[in-house]
Amino acid sequence: MPSSGLVARLRAIVGTDGVVDRPEALLVYECDGYTLERAAPDVVVLPRSPAEVSAVLRLLASERIAFVPRGAGTGLSGGTLPVGAPVMVCTSRMQKIESIDVANRRVVAEAGVVNQWITNAVRAERLHYAPDPSSQPACTIGGNVAENSGGPHTLKYGVTTNHVLGVELALPTGELVMLGGAVEERPGYDLVGLVVGSEGTFGIVTRAVLRLVRTPEACRTLLAVFDSVDAASEAVSGIIAAGIVPAALEMMDRLIVAAVEQAYHAGLPTDAGAVLLVEVDGPAAGLDVHAAAVRRVCTAHGAREVRTARDEAERAALWKCRKRAFGAVGRLAPNYCTQDGVVPRTRVPEIVKRIAAAAERHRLRIGNVFHAGDGNIHPIILFDERDRDETSRVLAAGREILEACVELGGSITGEHGIGVEKMAQLPLLFGPDDLRAMMALRAVFDPERRANPHKIFPDAKVCVEARAPRRQAPL
Amino acid sequence: MPAWVVRPSDAAEVQACVARAERDGLVLVPAGLGAHLDMGGPPARVDALLCLDRLARVVDHQAADMTVTVEAGCRLAVLNPTLAARGQWLPLDPPRVARTTVGGLVAANLSGPLRATQGTVRDLLLGIRVVGGGGALVSGGGRVVKNVAGYDLPKLHVGALGTLGAIVEATFKVRPRPAREEALVIACRDAADAAELASSFLDADAPPFWIEIDGTDDGPVAVSVGLAGIEDEVLHAREIARRIAARRALRAVDDAAVRRAELVDFGGGSFAAVLRAAVLPREIGDVLVALTKAGIPLRFEAHAASGVVRAAIRDAAAVAPLVRSLRPDIEARGGSLVVERAVPAVKQEVDVWGGPGPALALMRGVKAALDPAGVFAVGRFVGGI
Repeated sequence: MPSSGLVARLRAIVGTDGVVDRPEALLVYECDGYTLERAAPDVVVLPRSPAEVSAVLRLLASERIAFVPRGAGTGLSGGTLPVGAPVMVCTSRMQKIESIDVANRRVVAEAGVVNQWITNAVRAERLHYAPDPSSQPACTIGGNVAENSGGPHTLKYGVTTNHVLGVELALPTGELVMLGGAVEERPGYDLVGLVVGSEGTFGIVTRAVLRLVRTPEACRTLLAVFDSVDAASEAVSGIIAAGIVPAALEMMDRLIVAAVEQAYHAGLPTDAGAVLLVEVDGPAAGLDVHAAAVRRVCTAHGAREVRTARDEAERAALWKCRKRAFGAVGRLAPNYCTQDGVVPRTRVPEIVKRIAAAAERHRLRIGNVFHAGDGNIHPIILFDERDRDETSRVLAAGREILEACVELGGSITGEHGIGVEKMAQLPLLFGPDDLRAMMALRAVFDPERRANPHKIFPDAKVCVEARAPRRQAPL
Repeated sequence: MPAWVVRPSDAAEVQACVARAERDGLVLVPAGLGAHLDMGGPPARVDALLCLDRLARVVDHQAADMTVTVEAGCRLAVLNPTLAARGQWLPLDPPRVARTTVGGLVAANLSGPLRATQGTVRDLLLGIRVVGGGGALVSGGGRVVKNVAGYDLPKLHVGALGTLGAIVEATFKVRPRPAREEALVIACRDAADAAELASSFLDADAPPFWIEIDGTDDGPVAVSVGLAGIEDEVLHAREIARRIAARRALRAVDDAAVRRAELVDFGGGSFAAVLRAAVLPREIGDVLVALTKAGIPLRFEAHAASGVVRAAIRDAAAVAPLVRSLRPDIEARGGSLVVERAVPAVKQEVDVWGGPGPALALMRGVKAALDPAGVFAVGRFVGGI
């Protein structure tokens, strides 16, 4: 528990309203989108500027206190769980979009700026910020940088790391250092590339220089209905083999389609085995040819129906089904856990079978909604956390699914990060020499391991208190 | 000149070489076919060239997954036909392609006109295996197109010129080759006119597949644009390009790859140095004008969409003064002016890298973390790393 002296000194930096230390108010911060483990911090600090982040970290450095960074708390691997870190530094009040350079397609934003706000700010210029995680109306740029977030459109446009040109990093000492910048290349090691996806273990990203992308002239959005995941997967391979790189290629299985239909009444057949959402974009010329090719491939692989959105409203309706799938699933059970794994795209049918087997073995309901074009799967495991036995089966099934991903040549996370959730599984992918190199790099930035300790790397995990059941974190 | 050239035949032998060098206190410079050894600062010491050219296999091309795993010594001249046989490519078009290996491509962060829309090595590299300090074989990333497990080690080795270890294997995402790719070469009045024309192209609804500016200090200047896709797309792009080019003279090039190769190897073989300026895309006009007004015979070539300008200079004595006169203004804009390649004489006269920026201490830390004994290419990198 931090001394009252520390709390007073934090207040002196960030203002009275910038420090949360009442136990009931701290409950909000006891977990992020990963709700299976909870721990409230002793105190939450909400700086208003990079300079205040720096001052807070300088104070914590002088007292050798560990901290955990947090943006909007939408993360899905428990990356903001305060384990062995009494102070949480929340960037959500740092909301300034500092500059927009339309001609050079750059934006400089503070860490607490919400992903969607960037695109909103430049839409009139026919530009957008490409990475679009499902949580984009809420998640912050700082969190996106920490997790190297993806989203449905990353198949063609890449993930966060492909769109971040520079970051200002507050080192655990409080020193602010600018890495990279608005210019596309500069001499030296690619430290920006290293910091993106480092999950807050190097310090706190306070600002980012982002690349904007020309909004395509037009797009075609198609929805294809299949009898089975296998058939839909074959269609995915067929689309790729035809040399088409869709802007998005998303799949939902039977359980998810039924949940989505129940929630949003989009007219999806609830008996469908799988639904594919395919979007092609680019110059208007030729787009119909690509869309026709997608339709042909889907039909050839047994699609019983292929719909094409006729206008922006229909497109939005189709996307709503996909982006709000998680919300729809929330109606099916008191709790759900979203897994994140990757397999080579061609192994999707196999991993789906392995997921079904895990569901049966552990007597769980698991739905699948995933980025099929990337082989990035998101099994959604339904449960009731009041049932301790079921909760432990959820964890076991999740572990087995990740092990299967690795067996099939994939990864244990495509976009959610390791956080606390997958620390124990990291050695499935990396050997002692690999982990040693990573730890050595960490020590360059944070030799005292005070920035988001007990994350990513397997260690003797500090016990996390399991609290009374609470509402599922919204996402 | 190194006293030795070592040519291990597999990763285990590379490990043994590195461990031995470390024990004997030797400095190694990793290399492929030696095509890019003229990059970087003058090494503080070179005891042996660690040539990886015998690690030459395409390990695994998963066409349906659009990934390829390749040994570092594999030449692009071998990799590219393998991918092309399945209608795919690794969309990177480096200089000196015939003598470039995959390891060199990554270590030197080589790119060409295609970077305008296809990205650079960092955007395509999925995983890497590197023999680092102590001879440890370290893996980073993976073989799938999306992966955020652990730190992104592959990125650190991109452009590191072998100072953090010897790359032995890399995995890339590959892309389908466009059905068609042609080019238009548009004659411009001068460098300023070319920069303005390039801006118009970049503002268009459908920007070109790639866009380059090339010319000489006192001769003609041209903007070249690549147009790619299926028939309908190329026809449409051609129409737009002709409209944007307005009354300027233009010629069509059927095989765009030939034009790209001319552009990326613009200096030919005989130059004392190639300078590389990086600025914001809309600032390249200023750099081009400054270069052409310097009163030094030179050829230049710019990746217009990326804000990168390169200049090839024949007269070795002219290089250092030119760098010193241009560098302060470019650095003040947040850009950089690097001597990308040069004969040794030039490197004695001018710091090839310029100001290292605020992150030098962290970079030194990274070097010390991954190569604590200082085995790899000491002195070749930024700030004498």
